[in-house]
Amino acid sequence: MFAFLLASLLVQGSSSVGGAPATAVERQPRTIAIDETLAARAHLKVGDRVSISALPGTIGDTVIVGAIVRRGADPSEVARGDLRVRMHLDQIQRIAGYGDRVDRFAIATTPAADIPRLIDRINRVAFGFNAYRSRDIAVETSRTFQVVSRFHRAIGIITIVASSVFLLCIMVLKVEERRRDIAALRLMGISRATVVRSIVMEAAVVAVLGSALGVALGWAASLFVNWHYQALYRTPLEFSMVTPATVVFAVSLSLVLGIAAGVVASLRLVRTPPLVLFGR
Amino acid sequence: MACGVTADRGIAAARGDRVSARVESPIVSLRDVRRDYALGAERVHALQGVTLDVERGDYVAIVGPSGCGKSTLLNLIGVIDQPTSGTVAIAGRRVDAMSDREATQFRLRNIGFVFQRFYLLPILSALENVALPMAEAKVSKAVRIERAAELLRYVGLGNRERHRPSELSGGEQQRVAIARALANGPTLLLADEPTGELDARTGAEIISLFQRLNADGTTIVVVTHDEDLASASRRKVHIRDGRVVDA
Amino acid sequence: MRAALAQASLIRHRARTVLAVLGVAVAAAMLLDMVMLATGMRESFRELLLSRGFEIRLAPKGTLPFDTDATIPGVGAITATLRANPDIREISPVLGASIHILAGNRDVSGSALGIDPSVQGDYELLSGRDVTTPDAIVANDHLLSQLGARVGDTLSVAAGYDPQTRTYSGQRKLVVTGRARFIYGAADQSSSAMRRETLEAMGGQARDRASLFMVRVRKGANAEQVRDWIDKQLPNVTAISIATAIAQVDERLSYFRQLALILGAVSLFVGFLLVTTLVTVSVNERAGEIAVMRAIGVSRSHVVEQIVLEGVAISFGGAVLGLALGLVTARYLNTILSAFPGLPMAIDFFLFQPKAAWSALGLLIASGIGAGIYPAWRAASLPIAESLRREAIA
Repeated sequence: MFAFLLASLLVQGSSSVGGAPATAVERQPRTIAIDETLAARAHLKVGDRVSISALPGTIGDTVIVGAIVRRGADPSEVARGDLRVRMHLDQIQRIAGYGDRVDRFAIATTPAADIPRLIDRINRVAFGFNAYRSRDIAVETSRTFQVVSRFHRAIGIITIVASSVFLLCIMVLKVEERRRDIAALRLMGISRATVVRSIVMEAAVVAVLGSALGVALGWAASLFVNWHYQALYRTPLEFSMVTPATVVFAVSLSLVLGIAAGVVASLRLVRTPPLVLFGR
Repeated sequence: MACGVTADRGIAAARGDRVSARVESPIVSLRDVRRDYALGAERVHALQGVTLDVERGDYVAIVGPSGCGKSTLLNLIGVIDQPTSGTVAIAGRRVDAMSDREATQFRLRNIGFVFQRFYLLPILSALENVALPMAEAKVSKAVRIERAAELLRYVGLGNRERHRPSELSGGEQQRVAIARALANGPTLLLADEPTGELDARTGAEIISLFQRLNADGTTIVVVTHDEDLASASRRKVHIRDGRVVDA
Repeated sequence: MRAALAQASLIRHRARTVLAVLGVAVAAAMLLDMVMLATGMRESFRELLLSRGFEIRLAPKGTLPFDTDATIPGVGAITATLRANPDIREISPVLGASIHILAGNRDVSGSALGIDPSVQGDYELLSGRDVTTPDAIVANDHLLSQLGARVGDTLSVAAGYDPQTRTYSGQRKLVVTGRARFIYGAADQSSSAMRRETLEAMGGQARDRASLFMVRVRKGANAEQVRDWIDKQLPNVTAISIATAIAQVDERLSYFRQLALILGAVSLFVGFLLVTTLVTVSVNERAGEIAVMRAIGVSRSHVVEQIVLEGVAISFGGAVLGLALGLVTARYLNTILSAFPGLPMAIDFFLFQPKAAWSALGLLIASGIGAGIYPAWRAASLPIAESLRREAIA
């Protein structure tokens, strides 16, 4: 219903107020609230007068923009281009020809309320409607967001796999670069285990430092992403969050991968006879 | 500051060779050549005013203690380094101020280099190593393969063409390196401690090869500590502290 | 000779070469996927819109087709107005509605399109007959399987349901005359089509109304000009050309394009980094060899060429492997995104377009060349005598 109304919103601006005939019912223009996107697109500000109707090309009620509101952080709304208007219920019922009907009731309960029992009672006496818990509805309607989440997770997994390959590749190359040094150490009598331990420790230090830098970069990128998309979609929704859990996960994973790459790279070399490493 | 060249007359006189270097223009001519290096904060004077001539067909051994500037001198003659001052001429052509491109081309066609550590490309066979300079000189594949095989036969490795350096002994590798140095028929063959990594017996084989090359007309300049190699040459040039000294 | 040297060098360090190729392959796969993502939706959507040849769509003012329940009144008058333009060849008014099909004591909900079968562009008939009679209905396989129905069965179909009185309105018996694939339908959507007059009659109130008009222009006509004309003639509807529709969808899904751009750039950078690292390590190891090659007269540019060839070979091998890998991952990712509610089945987020793909992979190979040039040039430019001395000491 709201959508139907939105499809027919006509914005005439304050200059046409003088020419718009007042309806028999409306003497004092009532106020509406519009969202930020509509305000930006139609260049409206608080105090502007507009005409609102259910059908395009018809003269509707003259109303005043009483407030510009920011939408809630609803991920399912983000990609939609809806323009939202809040009106007094009786006015929209009249304009849209809805009569004494609504699409839904929203019920706020007391903290001590037994919600499941309440829903059950309502459904037993309800005639023509059903009661649901809000969060169950939210789950149903956030399928879009779930798809995006799954997609992100898949990209994340692919990125981790790709990073592991890159890391292993570069680690093998860099360790191989030092094969003469390693060969010299082995010829001196340094054990394989000591050589591997020292390389792995080096890899671990690099992994820790890299993780710290990565976390800082990720946090900065997260700030930027939120700033950009919140402005783009005019929503307070947080698109990216760096939580302690994600930091711990990222650091642990990079440490594990870094050490594993170091182990693989060093084992390859210590298993080769030192003289062969010298190229003889 | 330049000292005159004092040749070791012993062997040359025994053979009845010329002792004077001035009947025809020399193949190598250095005049008051200096070479300085920066080594950390210090300045090292590797060569301090060297004047030297090498005649066509000569076989010269440059000898001296470690760090006296022998290899530096050889590098200047081989146009892989440039003097700080002074002039270097090879076959009548000034080489001390050549651009990198000119110097590279000159080396390709006129100089053959033999190194102490052979420096064969391990990924190529003996034949391919010898053919490499000819490929660079745009010699056709058929011709360079044939010539490379001929050179390997000349150095006594006709049956080792397909072997990689890792499959050859030190002496064999050095012989391949000598064949490679001869690939483009150079005016001058330069060798830096060619027997340095070889045992006495193998070293003797190389010395003998150098003598044969020289007898066949190749002008050779070697840098060496090896007394046997130095003795096999026609002329010795003694270097000390970057200067040529009297024998 | 240079190619042979490059090949021999790569074979010499097999493990390293394999790892590098694998690394570049992963970068290439990601780059390819991101290129497919960046252009896929738009092209896939364009192909979908053009699939039946209707270049312009008319929707209720301010909306996109079927974005809302709004309808356009005066189908007859609008059709007459449109026919006045000689550039307009065909007009297909479409009415959309929800229907309820009573199957025993079950109520199966679905969507219905009221169309004119002679000009419709919403579905492809897979078997049976089209809706040539007023009591005919065609349905998709999803709806038929929900109902357990087949072609030839009679269905009790209602257009409205009053939850208060729990009664159905606009009921009618319709015969399933055919199975259809609804081009714009989502995978899990129960879709059907009947004649527009039938759906209008069932709907009761909504007479002479349409949810959407699809307009086909004459061959050679300028669709944008026709769209502008319609805008002027019919101010109460929104005329959307394919370009406008794509632009609007682009705007809504711009996030994926931006993600594609960022991840694509990162992939390219990582591929570049890998090849640079490999070439650098390779030339550092071979400093002596390079100095000797220079000493025996091989020119600097030829040395660089040989080294760069190694980088190119790795990039090329990685690109080929990455192409296969990328197509597999793209299919997997596309399956995830295809679950978007309401997304037409025919839309692919990841669309393989040869030109874009080859450009991307070409870019990767070019970056492989670039990655090898600097370290190779530096190595080939080192003073020969210095390098030889350092090698002798080492």
